[in-house]
Amino acid sequence: MAHTAIVSEQAKPVANYQMATRQDRGRLVYISGQVAWDAEGNTVGRGDIRAQARQVFENLRQVLQEAGGDLADLLKITTYVTRLDDYPAVVEVRQEFFPDGLPASTLIVVESLFHADWLLEVEGMAAIG
Amino acid sequence: MERRDIRADSPTEKRRGFMPAVSINPGRLLFTAGMTGRQSDGAVVAGGMGPQTQRTFERLRAIVERAGGRVEQSIKQMLYVTDLEAYYAQGRAARAAFFGPSRPASTGLVVRRLADPAMLIEVELVVDLQEPPQGGFKLEKFNVEAHGLDFFQGVIVNGGRLIYLAGQVANNPDGSVAGVGDLSAQAQKVYDNIGYVLQAAGATAASAVKETTWTLDLEAWREHGTPVRRAFYQGDFPASTLVEIPGLARPEFLVEIEVIAAVA
Repeated sequence: MAHTAIVSEQAKPVANYQMATRQDRGRLVYISGQVAWDAEGNTVGRGDIRAQARQVFENLRQVLQEAGGDLADLLKITTYVTRLDDYPAVVEVRQEFFPDGLPASTLIVVESLFHADWLLEVEGMAAIG
Repeated sequence: MERRDIRADSPTEKRRGFMPAVSINPGRLLFTAGMTGRQSDGAVVAGGMGPQTQRTFERLRAIVERAGGRVEQSIKQMLYVTDLEAYYAQGRAARAAFFGPSRPASTGLVVRRLADPAMLIEVELVVDLQEPPQGGFKLEKFNVEAHGLDFFQGVIVNGGRLIYLAGQVANNPDGSVAGVGDLSAQAQKVYDNIGYVLQAAGATAASAVKETTWTLDLEAWREHGTPVRRAFYQGDFPASTLVEIPGLARPEFLVEIEVIAAVA
């Protein structure tokens, strides 16, 4: 890994993520907010948070692979949802993609995303190499 | 330096002008504060989304140029809008003109409120100044306008290593929430936690580069959060953004703060 997790005894995460990560070397990658687009640019899983979450994390993984890395290279992700009630389902799906836990992470409920059909959006930064 | 646009050449990208990711080898990086359509007298420019977007990017351009860069060197853009229809009708075209043929990685959000209720758009940028570090690690914090507010409009990270903090909330080490229903207490706990995490990373409050504050009630934050924030930074503020949103991960959380910091 090109990064290190920062661990504090006095401040601990409320779930399975890191409180902070530090980029030690490698290239810095800024990843756009990923939404539930398939390769053709069509929104998948209208009204289905699990289907959208799977597509979003697949897209995130694909972008990282195109950058020469993978999900394990992420420094931080931010998950934006439009309904807090969807969050448990997002956590469930996210767990499949991050079986060893998340990098630094933030969850925010927004009024909406840039299309009414999108239920979540996930962006991140990674250190690769 | 040595920017690489991560393109999949998918129909999505071609059709929508979407840039999935941008990769760089960091030398000198500029982080801007969230900028809006304020004029020099502090009032928001008249005319709605189009003029606000134009004004926002003119101000961003001044920050980027002061740092010796160009807006086209942006690697990431955060867009916060309060009116999506107006953004698509008038904001998007005004924005695109500033980037020319280049595209940063981008995230767009519709939020409940920005610092002033008249504000329809706020934008922040991360810019690769495409230069090697000048001497040893340092942070260069600067303003291009005299604003008298508690942040810097631009912070250049010259060399060093970046630290990305998770969004910090008012949680105790045992997982319970501190200051339920009490924003002052939550603000204190959040900044205590930020301080602990920075310390664990060999950093201090002065190491903060960029801060984003997500609050459920912006006016309440000004009253109860600002004094705590001032005491934490002691004048050595980061570039910052403050937005009001409808919810956080737990109903008890009233505020969440993200910090990017840097160390040698």
